[in-house]
Amino acid sequence: MSTAARSTWLHDLVRKPFFWGVVAIIALLLLNVMKDPTYLAISVNPDNGNLVGNLVDILRASAPILMIAVGMSLVIATGGIDLSVGSVMAVSGAVAMVFMKDAGQSGSLGVALGAIGLALAVSAVLGVVNGVLVAYIGLQPFISTLIMMLAGRGIAKVITEGQNTSATNDPFRWLANGFVVGLPVVFLLALAIVGLVGLVVRRSALGLMIEAIGINPKASRMAGIRPSGLLLTVYVLSAVLAGIAGIMSVGTVMTVDVSRTGYQMELDAILAVVIGGTSLSGGKFSIGGAVVGALLIATLDKTVVFLGVSSSATPAFKAIVIVVLCLLQSDRVRGWFVQRRKPPKERPVPNAVAAREEVSA
Amino acid sequence: MSVQRRFTKFLGLAAVGAISIGLAACSSGGGSAEAGDDDLTTVGFVAVGPEGAWREANEKNIQETFTKDAGFDLKYAPATNLDQKSQIDAFTSFVDEGVDVILLSATEASGWEDSLSRAQEAEIPVILLDRGIEPDDTSLYVTRIAPDNVEVAKEVGAWAVETFPDGGNYITLEGPAGVGVVNERNEGWDASVDGSKLVEVAAQTANWSAEEGKSVTETLLKANGNDIQLIFAQNDEMGLGAAQAVEEAGLKPGVDVKIATIDGTAAAMEALANGQLSYVHEYNPLFGETALDVVEKTLAGDSVESYIIVPSEAFDSPEAAQAVLADRKY
Repeated sequence: MSTAARSTWLHDLVRKPFFWGVVAIIALLLLNVMKDPTYLAISVNPDNGNLVGNLVDILRASAPILMIAVGMSLVIATGGIDLSVGSVMAVSGAVAMVFMKDAGQSGSLGVALGAIGLALAVSAVLGVVNGVLVAYIGLQPFISTLIMMLAGRGIAKVITEGQNTSATNDPFRWLANGFVVGLPVVFLLALAIVGLVGLVVRRSALGLMIEAIGINPKASRMAGIRPSGLLLTVYVLSAVLAGIAGIMSVGTVMTVDVSRTGYQMELDAILAVVIGGTSLSGGKFSIGGAVVGALLIATLDKTVVFLGVSSSATPAFKAIVIVVLCLLQSDRVRGWFVQRRKPPKERPVPNAVAAREEVSA
Repeated sequence: MSVQRRFTKFLGLAAVGAISIGLAACSSGGGSAEAGDDDLTTVGFVAVGPEGAWREANEKNIQETFTKDAGFDLKYAPATNLDQKSQIDAFTSFVDEGVDVILLSATEASGWEDSLSRAQEAEIPVILLDRGIEPDDTSLYVTRIAPDNVEVAKEVGAWAVETFPDGGNYITLEGPAGVGVVNERNEGWDASVDGSKLVEVAAQTANWSAEEGKSVTETLLKANGNDIQLIFAQNDEMGLGAAQAVEEAGLKPGVDVKIATIDGTAAAMEALANGQLSYVHEYNPLFGETALDVVEKTLAGDSVESYIIVPSEAFDSPEAAQAVLADRKY
């Protein structure tokens, strides 16, 4: 009885979309522990009481990816895609840095808030452009956000006059590098925002409506949902989240590098969403999955450096981890293993299904 | 596309027209051989265009050197999006136009043979700026003027060996794997450091970026229990990021960990003056004067060396950085 209950519980867990993502994170951490047994150790910095350790670094590195992954998972749920998040990060970072550089006053909280507000406002405008192109003009999401991806980096270059721009502002810097109760601010902030978004979309009908658009836009309109407004909202949300990611990203070094900030981050975001078990065909999303995906990507990035994988082999190493993960997630591949393990008695059932399929084909 | 083709056709026609008028002038006057309307020397500059602070300083310097006052008419043709095709088009139209000299900063090293031999047939001397070509056929161009990556990195390595006579652990922050500059800077560094007591505990790419430089350094410091005395960053940005990671790990840059970088941008000079970096080797972009000199010599028929190395300065103390900080151009 109890073993049966446990096995169904285990079965449920394995069937969770992000189960294999969690397994991969644990495997990577184990790999690091094998190299250095003290990898997981977290110590307390005696000077300021902050936690110090590799895990803390991973949490910190995952914050910007978390932001864009959550935005991306909502966009993907509507059946779209947002390729512009990396460029929006660069624009947001550029706006913030240039604003703070011109304002001076390195200790002023007001300047920091002004920079953040302006950066998010500009990001939102870019999101509105994406949203209008997709929802009201009816362009394909891939094309409209591709336009923004290319234009965004150009906009960032115009804002900074093509230069990498640095600024000093302590409150802004604290946001990306500071600690609260021993934990990095940036991660707590990311967690809070993810929690808020998750709460809003899952505790209201919003999430359901977003998924309905992804499943069938026409049917959802018939059912009384207005896809245009929702689509616009989703793209604006994605851009604002990317703007936050940009702020976190430039805040770590207080420099915006117009050609590198957020470079190819859209791919990380899509990857995080896919690892989290959300299908790119839309109609479904999992915020928890996106969180797992983002954590996995941060862990992977840090592991590559920690293990000392040579620079030229890094892309291959990452690719292998992700391919293996995707294979494990694939129902068909898992099906092969399950079939092999099944006792011969149950064989006829899948065969019968196959036979029936053949007949119908 | 077709507009562009039509435009080149038009240019070609215009060039033919100009040449025939020139020939007519020649036959009647029989005086000066140059087709130019006044005494300006026409220089075509096939450039890279917007790429970063270094490139901007470099091309601005060239433009400010070859002025009308100095007797030159400089035609600046930057590549569109670092595309070699657009450079070859610009190069070809300069040849058709019959400029006196062509300056070339190639975005890609290979694929220039045909264009260069066309220029040679037209008896237009070509001078390479900064970037070399592959295969390096010195008969196709007059000279290459550039700072030497290998030499610069060698000097950084020599400084490191001298600063750490008893050895120490170091990490290298590289640019993207496989890029020519990265290979050359590694080669120079290794030439100096191999055989010394310095031990390379890790070499990782940080893609020329400050943010990645910080993130990579943070992890590498933890992986080695903070037992790192030297960081060799192949550009300034990565070094500046590394300095922040060192500080956050509770170490003192310059005291516990020394950081050496290459490029010599104003931001790095400032950091050197503040003691965050310990050694900055310039990779000098300002060689307009040398180029001017070579152009004049070439037009006068004098021979020049096939490779002219632009001297780059090393800065190893806050005072040295402070001295040049005020009028740093890039």
